[in-house]
Amino acid sequence: MNGLIKLELTRALRNRKFLFFSVIYPSVLFLLIAGSADATEKVDGTGLTLPTYMMVSMASFGALTAVLMGNSERIAKERQSGWVRQLRLTTLPGRGYVLAKTASAAVVSLPSIVVVFAVAAAVKDVRLDAWQWCALTGAIWAGSLVFAALGVAIGYLANGDAVRPITMITYFGLSILGGLWMPTTTFPGWLQDIAEWVPTHAYAALGQSIEQSQAPHAEDIVILAVFFALFTGGAAWLYRKDTLKA
Amino acid sequence: MTTTAPVVGFDQVSKSFGEVRAVDGLTLALRPGETVVLLGPNGAGKSTTLDLLLGLKQPDSGTVRVLGTGPREAIVAGRVGAMLQSGGLMDEVTVAELVSLACGLHPRPYRVADVLARAGIAQIADRKVDKLSGGQAQRVRFALATAGDSDLIVLDEPTTGMDVTTRQAFWATMREQADQGRTVLFATHYLEEADAIADRVLVLHRGRLLADGTAAEIKAKAGARRIAFDLTDGFDEGALRALPFLTSLTVSHSGPATGPARTVRIQSTDADATVHAVYGLGLYPRNLEVAGLGLEQAFVALTTAEEAKSA
Repeated sequence: MNGLIKLELTRALRNRKFLFFSVIYPSVLFLLIAGSADATEKVDGTGLTLPTYMMVSMASFGALTAVLMGNSERIAKERQSGWVRQLRLTTLPGRGYVLAKTASAAVVSLPSIVVVFAVAAAVKDVRLDAWQWCALTGAIWAGSLVFAALGVAIGYLANGDAVRPITMITYFGLSILGGLWMPTTTFPGWLQDIAEWVPTHAYAALGQSIEQSQAPHAEDIVILAVFFALFTGGAAWLYRKDTLKA
Repeated sequence: MTTTAPVVGFDQVSKSFGEVRAVDGLTLALRPGETVVLLGPNGAGKSTTLDLLLGLKQPDSGTVRVLGTGPREAIVAGRVGAMLQSGGLMDEVTVAELVSLACGLHPRPYRVADVLARAGIAQIADRKVDKLSGGQAQRVRFALATAGDSDLIVLDEPTTGMDVTTRQAFWATMREQADQGRTVLFATHYLEEADAIADRVLVLHRGRLLADGTAAEIKAKAGARRIAFDLTDGFDEGALRALPFLTSLTVSHSGPATGPARTVRIQSTDADATVHAVYGLGLYPRNLEVAGLGLEQAFVALTTAEEAKSA
């Protein structure tokens, strides 16, 4: 299986478009949003400056891009081309394909997180304690698994031409509703109530708690855990259905 | 070969898709070292049979055993190398990278360079998989199926998209595999390939085994000798129809439409006995010709006879 992970990685790193969108793009967006902001301006109700707040949002957004976009479209395409079938004729265990996809997506998501941090620290003078940097990286990286599972589920749910729009709608919906592009405090009240329950909101909130030197809220962890169970359960169910059909 | 069990054993296997019985009570056993071809018209159940054999589909009833275990176990143990028509390839990687992956996954892999050379793709090893022609992709699939030492090789329409030269080279390679004691099972549309390569021919029709034997036996079963002769005098067509070993008879005018001259065409499973009986009727056949049927004609004869029976 290591061979497949290695090859998936080689391929991901060769794909410039994918790398641009998952590694460079979040940092560029960060600079656009936080660039003009005053370093002392606080985001309502958080006590965090806008650059500090947006750094976590954009790192989460980058990780989301890497794991969601990487998995869903590729899996749908490779199911259709018959590559998934071909792999089932090798000694690779049944779940090996999905695990290799997720593992390689996780490797690509790490630079998207770290690059945003580096840009924020260098350009916008975001300063945090060493433990906070480590905890942030760990939390955002681990949290991205929730969306990797979602990517797998979409890859097994949608076929051919349908997969791209579904991925895009999910991706933008999660990014905007979860407050990754702008703080949800700027939303009208009713939308804020909805955003509370969006997994990306809980995902970014993990990082923001760490920035506030607090332990992550239990509520956010529960929301993420429930979505993780939902997405992996869905992915496993769809995978099994596809396997019986193929 | 460590097992005396059949390499492939189907016991009363059925598989339906909705109303359609793709495989219907199929029972067969492949013995070690055989080269077996699976023949059948489109929709005969060839692909479903291979899918069941490879554990890609589960039978509704009956059992499929491969090398003494279930299909999936045999594949995980690396004992089966398979190439499917529908088998896609990973794109954006090179041919060599993909073959290396297959070798890496096999418990008893061959050297990557050897696999590439044997499949005839060494010169395109650095090419991206998505930039290959149909025939080249087909050879890459073959390389994936033969990346390691397997006991059974399964090939679904392996030479589709290959030109004649490539096809010949391909079968030479395949025969090498068979000579090393491997069991080879392939489905093909090219009947001449089946005739030239297979030890055993399985004819599948509507999910059932219509015929099982050597190419020569299949031809015999289909009434595989053609006899043709002219008769100038009057004769009793009923007596001709009663000839031994006859499977079909056509009589046509040979000469003026009003004249008595006729050409008789007969298919017989034992041409010697049939011809002998023609003389026994006191007839004097002229321009007598006896010729063998190709496997293709035999195949058409078998399946149309079956169609007629079930119609």
